[in-house]
Amino acid sequence: MTQVSKLTRRSVLATGAAALGATTLGQPAWAQAKANLQLSWLHSTQFAGSYIALKRGYYEGLEVALQQGGPNAPVEPPVVSGTALIGISAADYTAAAVQEGAPFKILGVAMQNNPFAIASLAGNPVNEPADLVGKRIGMALTNTPVLQALCTLNGVDINAIEIVPTQYSPQPLVAGDVDCLLCWATDLPVAMTIQGVDNVTMLMADYGYAVHSQTYIATEDSLTNRRADILALMAGEVKGWGDYRADTDAATQLTLDMFPDAGLDADTQRLQAARQVPLMFSELTDANGFGWWTDDTVAANIETLGLLGRTVTADLWDRSILEEIHGA
Amino acid sequence: MTRYALGPIAALVLWELIARGLAGSFVLAPPSAIAVYLVENFGLIARALGVTLGNAAAGFVIGNCAAIALAACAIVWPRSDAAIRGAALLVFCLPLVATGPILRVVFGPGPWPQIVLAALAVYYTTLIPLLVGLRAVPSDWLDLLRSYGRGRFSALLHVRAMAALPYLVAGLQIAAPAAFLGAMVGEFTGAERGMGVLTIRAMRGMNVEMTWTLAAVATAVAMLGYWGIGAIAARMLQEDPPVILAAPAALKGGGLGTAAMVAFLVVLVWDVGLRLLDLNTFFAKGPLDVFDALALAPDARDTWSILLRALGETAVFLVPGYFAGLVLGALIAMLIVLVPSVAGTAMPIAIALRSVPIITTAPLVVLLMGRGAAGTMVLVAIMVFFPTLIACLHGLRQAPSRVMDVMNSYAAGPLQQLMRVRIPAMLPAFFAAARMNVPASVLAVTVVEWLATGNGIGSTMALSASVSDYDLLWSAVVIVSLLCVVGYGVVGLVERRVLRVYAPEQLA
Repeated sequence: MTQVSKLTRRSVLATGAAALGATTLGQPAWAQAKANLQLSWLHSTQFAGSYIALKRGYYEGLEVALQQGGPNAPVEPPVVSGTALIGISAADYTAAAVQEGAPFKILGVAMQNNPFAIASLAGNPVNEPADLVGKRIGMALTNTPVLQALCTLNGVDINAIEIVPTQYSPQPLVAGDVDCLLCWATDLPVAMTIQGVDNVTMLMADYGYAVHSQTYIATEDSLTNRRADILALMAGEVKGWGDYRADTDAATQLTLDMFPDAGLDADTQRLQAARQVPLMFSELTDANGFGWWTDDTVAANIETLGLLGRTVTADLWDRSILEEIHGA
Repeated sequence: MTRYALGPIAALVLWELIARGLAGSFVLAPPSAIAVYLVENFGLIARALGVTLGNAAAGFVIGNCAAIALAACAIVWPRSDAAIRGAALLVFCLPLVATGPILRVVFGPGPWPQIVLAALAVYYTTLIPLLVGLRAVPSDWLDLLRSYGRGRFSALLHVRAMAALPYLVAGLQIAAPAAFLGAMVGEFTGAERGMGVLTIRAMRGMNVEMTWTLAAVATAVAMLGYWGIGAIAARMLQEDPPVILAAPAALKGGGLGTAAMVAFLVVLVWDVGLRLLDLNTFFAKGPLDVFDALALAPDARDTWSILLRALGETAVFLVPGYFAGLVLGALIAMLIVLVPSVAGTAMPIAIALRSVPIITTAPLVVLLMGRGAAGTMVLVAIMVFFPTLIACLHGLRQAPSRVMDVMNSYAAGPLQQLMRVRIPAMLPAFFAAARMNVPASVLAVTVVEWLATGNGIGSTMALSASVSDYDLLWSAVVIVSLLCVVGYGVVGLVERRVLRVYAPEQLA
């Protein structure tokens, strides 16, 4: 990290020009550089800031393609192979990949607060971690470390909670198979609200679960050799998400217009877009700009990741791109 | 005709009533709601169907052509038979969780991962019945050809190809829903649009009408494919199945030698393939990486304990589900032969069970059977049931009419005819189904565990991919594939003992 931040403006321009030269080889001189941004899930307002950036031409000098994710589309392989310049990941997945030898850096944090939540029905609510005792929780067994971390952070005995393996859907909760669900605050609870099911959401980030989510990742190699492209892409993201925050309804409308075949429900998307705002923007980003973090938030992340069995150091995060964009 | 229509109408009414009864639990939409949703969102569904159907059709053609080419190669050049069967089995064993992301990286955005997954979903269930059919030939026909000085290629073209047609039709009919499902699941790798994409959206949004409209459309398309192939086949297959009286075949030796050769070839192709595709070793692990992870690495013991525990969980569902699906498929096929009007109700349900994605049916099965082992077993049985049913139906129809005439002239009843003629005629097809369902059921159980129940080896593989533990993922793939080969071998042993008595031409 220190080495990267020591780069001079001149050397950045030089490597940027070299990268441009490399990527445009064999194309007419006026052709724009191209880059893929690998999204972590299906198209929806979850990525509306990127759609705004694309539509309004905020990725200056770069032709960006947004690649959709899915249940069987992990983000790490395309980013490692260079198919995607930047991927949308999360600190826990990135930490795991780095442990397995992937040379990733986190360049920006779109979701300051982790979106993991415990959703329950209003008649039998889970308002705080202590309420989990004696409850049946529906979740993928693969998320057991997440629940374990929440329990450890709040002094709850995980053995007092019955884990029921379920698919990722609100249906088991509504049908009464379980008392609560481990899910994202921005998807299943929104679906229940739209379907008229009265529900309660307890955000795990409010109870010490500090894991940066929707993080921008790139390889160290790209950071060195395609720095200008990364700067252009991230600058576009910062501007796009700024517009998103100013008017989430307009962002939703743009999403619906861009993806008529995605089967998006307008009301669901509008509510999701609004609920995402407090996860993405905070006093920290107000003061420093979109995507920002501090040594303190990184320290909290390292602690939570430790509970999840991931050992990472602070140099997983590389703020040099954001510093250049926000002029810090 | 009215007799055939009664069953489906009754089923629709029952469906409507059950769905209305379950309205509060968000698991099943009634047919009336599906009709309304379809009318209101016709454009959306039609566009998605167009995309998925196009990919499924391309995969269907590619997969089946590959199967036909492989089968022809195995017959004309018998030495290649074991290698082709072995390699085909191993490729079919590869779980979607592992292949999907790699296909996406190799092909980039676009339809190719979906097409390849659709092709992979069909080629094996065509290849295995086809290999049976190409041998379902009276030996005197081959002797006749040989006496004219003609070789194996002429035998394939003039005798074997004709004899194999009914078996090919069975394979193609099984392939129709499988291709569609393969294309849908292929869309989980990050496709822009299609029925699979919409299904994920509908499930997460708890939009029951949309979920079941997609399921109904997928079923309707698969059914049309099934009937269309059947109708074309009915016009082509005018000939009566031959009476096969063959001398018992000599036992073949050298089983271990061929197995070693196949294993060596597979490892070679795997290693060279990864190098040629130039895939990053972060997620594309070669044979040496897996050997290292399972034998040499300091955490090899941990890897083994994770894999063995997961496999234990899986076996509990897999084995009973496999046998239940097999027995049920054979029994219903016999019932349809005895009471043909049953087909009007049974076939649509059978096709629906096979063509509706598991993520759609799983909540319903879980609701009916509970969240325990029974639900998963039922889901595995469903996946095994359909190919068995189709293969057995075709097998039962392979009873030669001359033998049936003899039975009729002695006034033998339908049950007698079934027991003494049709079931023996069905046995080669039944065992083909039993063999091809070994990897198919393993594939089914891993998908169920991955998408629905969240335990066992399927879930372990999904987890290892999501946390980038690709050593564990590839190790799991290797172990699962080896277990498939063992299961296939065991079924093959039983088959040889039975067919030595009833259909010795298959062992030649």
